[in-house]
Amino acid sequence: MIANSQSIIAAVAAERYFVTMVVQRKAKMVAIVDDDELMRSALQGMLKSVGLPSRVFASAEEFLNSGQHQQTACLIADIRMPGMSGLELQAKLNAEHCRIPTIFITAHGDTKMRMQALRAGAVEFLAKPFDDEVLLESVRAALAN
Amino acid sequence: MTVTTTGKWFARPVAAAALRYGLAFASIAAAMGLARLFLYFHLPQPFAAFALSAIAITFWYGGNMPGIVAAVLASTIRYSHWSEAPAVSRAIYDLVFLIFAFLMMAINRSRTELEVRVAERTADLTRANKDLSLEIAQRNRAEEKLRQSEAYLAEAQKLTHTGSWAWDVAERCALHLSEEWYRIYGFDPEEGMITWEKRLERIHPDDRAGQQQAIYRAINEKSGYEVEYRIILPSGTIRHLHSVGHPVLDASGNLVKFLGSSTDITERRQAEEALRQAQADLARISRITTMGELTASLAHEVNQPIAAAVTDANTCSRWLNRDQPDLDEAREAASRMVKDATRAAEIISRTRLLFKKVNPQWESVDMHQIIREMVAVMSGEAARYSISVWAELAAELPEVMGDRVQLQQVLMNLMMNSIEAMKDTDGPRELIIRSQITENGQLVVSITDTGVGLPPHQANKIFDAFFTTKPQGTGMGLRISRSIVESHGGRLWAADNSSRGASFHLSLPTKVKAHE
Repeated sequence: MIANSQSIIAAVAAERYFVTMVVQRKAKMVAIVDDDELMRSALQGMLKSVGLPSRVFASAEEFLNSGQHQQTACLIADIRMPGMSGLELQAKLNAEHCRIPTIFITAHGDTKMRMQALRAGAVEFLAKPFDDEVLLESVRAALAN
Repeated sequence: MTVTTTGKWFARPVAAAALRYGLAFASIAAAMGLARLFLYFHLPQPFAAFALSAIAITFWYGGNMPGIVAAVLASTIRYSHWSEAPAVSRAIYDLVFLIFAFLMMAINRSRTELEVRVAERTADLTRANKDLSLEIAQRNRAEEKLRQSEAYLAEAQKLTHTGSWAWDVAERCALHLSEEWYRIYGFDPEEGMITWEKRLERIHPDDRAGQQQAIYRAINEKSGYEVEYRIILPSGTIRHLHSVGHPVLDASGNLVKFLGSSTDITERRQAEEALRQAQADLARISRITTMGELTASLAHEVNQPIAAAVTDANTCSRWLNRDQPDLDEAREAASRMVKDATRAAEIISRTRLLFKKVNPQWESVDMHQIIREMVAVMSGEAARYSISVWAELAAELPEVMGDRVQLQQVLMNLMMNSIEAMKDTDGPRELIIRSQITENGQLVVSITDTGVGLPPHQANKIFDAFFTTKPQGTGMGLRISRSIVESHGGRLWAADNSSRGASFHLSLPTKVKAHE
């Protein structure tokens, strides 16, 4: 948390060039958590095409067990997954005071869930199929913070 | 002396004693009169003759005592009227009368004996006659009962469309063919006994071999047989027959004849066929309804690869729109796109298969493959409710005979129910499908969930028609599933788990290798 704050201050003070440098130096990852393989590859490919490295995880448990959450700058997660759901993951991270900017993408988007996610601190809540640009904006916004 | 024996026709009137003794006197008097008359006409005087006749008559009609009285009288009269005869001749006459009297007594005795015997005979005959009449009456009653019972039997045969028959094995000819038998085969009873060949002609050509085989086997093994075949009536109609026969052996164990019955089961067959068709229709409708319920999860499921395809297409464009297009990356993105679209198509086609109207097809089915397919079909719905699904299948899989679409439907129904049960529960949501082979060669497939469990004490009621715990449920799913499993020769039952949730088990018989 403290590390993030420092980089935020540093980034704000510098130009965009410096921001990019800082981000690259810190090697901040975007984490993708989705049980669907095709979705994972598509998202990873998309992020690669804008020069953002990413790591994929097939389940919320896999993500938590990987110990990567400290290095994760942004989390893109599906809601409905077998085992731990996206919202449960969010709650777990909040409980550990691990505030990773999270973007939810889901095929089951209902308003109640959207409210719940946003209230718990999600950056964005998108329904599949989503507009790539909107997602990328959210990712960039999350990384900029 | 009156002799009394049984029988009213023998009684000699005792009351006529006066008459009898009177006869003695009368006959002697008549004899005397006749002798006088002869004397008058100067004819020889055969008083003795007349007297003897009189004595004879008296003995015969009067009895022994009156006879003796007559003899004594005759003798006395002789003395009084012809006393001039010498003592010797008198003595001789007396002796003659005496001897005659004894003779008559003997004759009387014989007559008595004869009469007794006759009376006895008559009594016997009358008794025999009475017995015979009784027997005839009994026989008539029995015949009447037999006629009655035959009429009932014939009526019963008519009502059940069953004809009875008996065939002699050696002669290959019919010993008995009931009225109904003729009617079933469309023969005229007036034709007399139907020959083996004539009957064979009526049997459907395709079924002749099978029917003959069954009979020959029964003859060889001296066993009973049961066989079904079709016959073609003279009008061209086809009827289904079910024939049962028992062998009859003689004392030395040789096969003498077959007794049995043949039933026209055409109506039953047609009803069975109609029922099967109705069940298939009902099952299909249920299948379509379930598929309708799956639409939401289907939409979600198809959405995934489509969303991925959109993302990959955009990615591809991005790579190509650069100042320096990266063709390798673009190609990769494009190939990912192909995979996405293919997946979407696959989901659609897999679902369409379940909507198809297929006639029930009995074939060898791979249950493990069906389980895998249904896990795939239901994966979308399971994912929707965050349910993990997996299968634990037996190492070996025996062959099962059945209709694959119907079995798919059963699994789909059971898995759907399990997912429903877990929709709103807390804790881990797991749907496990297991298969195992029991000792007696049955295949048991179990669908276990961690849901709300069965309604209390209603582990069997849930299979009733129209029983449902869902507000929008039809209550037919389990009913149909059970009847499908049962028509495959298996059983479907449910039980609560020791931990959370319930399990549904279905057993199916496995194909036994034919030894014959």
